[in-house]
Amino acid sequence: MATTRRVALLFPGQGSQYPRMAAGLYGQVEVFTDTMDQAFESLGHLGVKLRDEWRSERPGALFDDVVRAQPLLYAVEYALGRTVLDWGVRPAAMLGHSVGEMVAATLSGVLSFSSGLRLMLDRVEQYAATPPGGMLAVAASAADVTAHLTGTLAIAAVNAEQQTVVAGERAELAALTRTLRDRGFTCVAVRANQAFHSPVVAGAARRSVDAWSAVSLRPPHTRLYSARLGAVLGSAAAVDPAFWAMQPAAPVLFWPTLDLLLRDESVLLVEVGPGQGLITLARRHPALQSGHCDAVGLLPARAAGPDAELAALRAAADRLAADGHIRPGAAAPSIEARSGV
Amino acid sequence: MAMFTQADLVGYMRRAAGEDESISLDGDIAEVTFADLGYDSLAVMEIASLAERELGVRLPEETMAGVETPQQFVDLVNEQLPASV
Repeated sequence: MATTRRVALLFPGQGSQYPRMAAGLYGQVEVFTDTMDQAFESLGHLGVKLRDEWRSERPGALFDDVVRAQPLLYAVEYALGRTVLDWGVRPAAMLGHSVGEMVAATLSGVLSFSSGLRLMLDRVEQYAATPPGGMLAVAASAADVTAHLTGTLAIAAVNAEQQTVVAGERAELAALTRTLRDRGFTCVAVRANQAFHSPVVAGAARRSVDAWSAVSLRPPHTRLYSARLGAVLGSAAAVDPAFWAMQPAAPVLFWPTLDLLLRDESVLLVEVGPGQGLITLARRHPALQSGHCDAVGLLPARAAGPDAELAALRAAADRLAADGHIRPGAAAPSIEARSGV
Repeated sequence: MAMFTQADLVGYMRRAAGEDESISLDGDIAEVTFADLGYDSLAVMEIASLAERELGVRLPEETMAGVETPQQFVDLVNEQLPASV
């Protein structure tokens, strides 16, 4: 039965990656496969390494590092997004967390995928040279966490009213973890080797302005809720190279931005990336609790193997068809084409 | 404490949600996944640490990683509580 809800795409960020994320779709889902191949080929030597790491059950120590996680998340999420658009979904809005915001920008026409891949090569180079750092998720409000911050430590993300991420240099982050645990806070390390969304990476962000200036930027054709701004992205910011270059050093205002999106309209949130971290947070929002809005993930909530990934994708397609966002059966050919079913 | 019930767990879940008061935990949620209820792994760890502090049970992160539903959580706690007299 068709509903009046529109579709909003959510793109997760650093920390959502897991070994073989979405690899179960490779060779099975045509658009996804072709897009991943395009990414690996465009990335040259890095692309060869990325392909091996992505398909490995036990990727190397760099898997959570900027040099692997960021280009892989960017490519995998873009390829998943292309798949959904290929089914005929016409999203009313997009919202990306961290590197997911760059995927949203690409799918909404701000930059091309080939430009995005070139920028990923630059990002790998600039950010790999930043001081060893990390990120810590804390089950507490930003206000409660802020009182304990020292030195390079900064609020990197506001994920929910009771979930805040801190980033900073490694030793300081370790000391903060001890302090917070002693005081009864629950904390868990985010899978990251750099202090993204903190002043620690501001120098790398500034150095990437040149690469962004060399790229053609256009206003988005689909409404883009920017977690950097906590607002809808306007044309001026969309075409400003410095806005995008500095985005990885600025806090991710995910919850306030999501709140704005959910207040603006009735939507079916679709998580376009590994896991279901963002829609799990979204389920705490009154708009989802009341049934006004709802959510579905394209992939399982946690790493579960290729069959579970294909099953989750089919279930998401069925849900989109049931709600009238795509024609019944529209997704089947692209999912079944390579498997010969 | 004789037995840890779903109602006890819901109490912890509400406390862990804090200001997120809108979370609805009514009805039969025993087999609904924590993720579908809006509780990610960090929020489940928060519930586990409340239970550890107040019930004296041990709920290490490795064990909690396999706990996906309120029923599994309740069962895990009850395995560790001393039998009632």
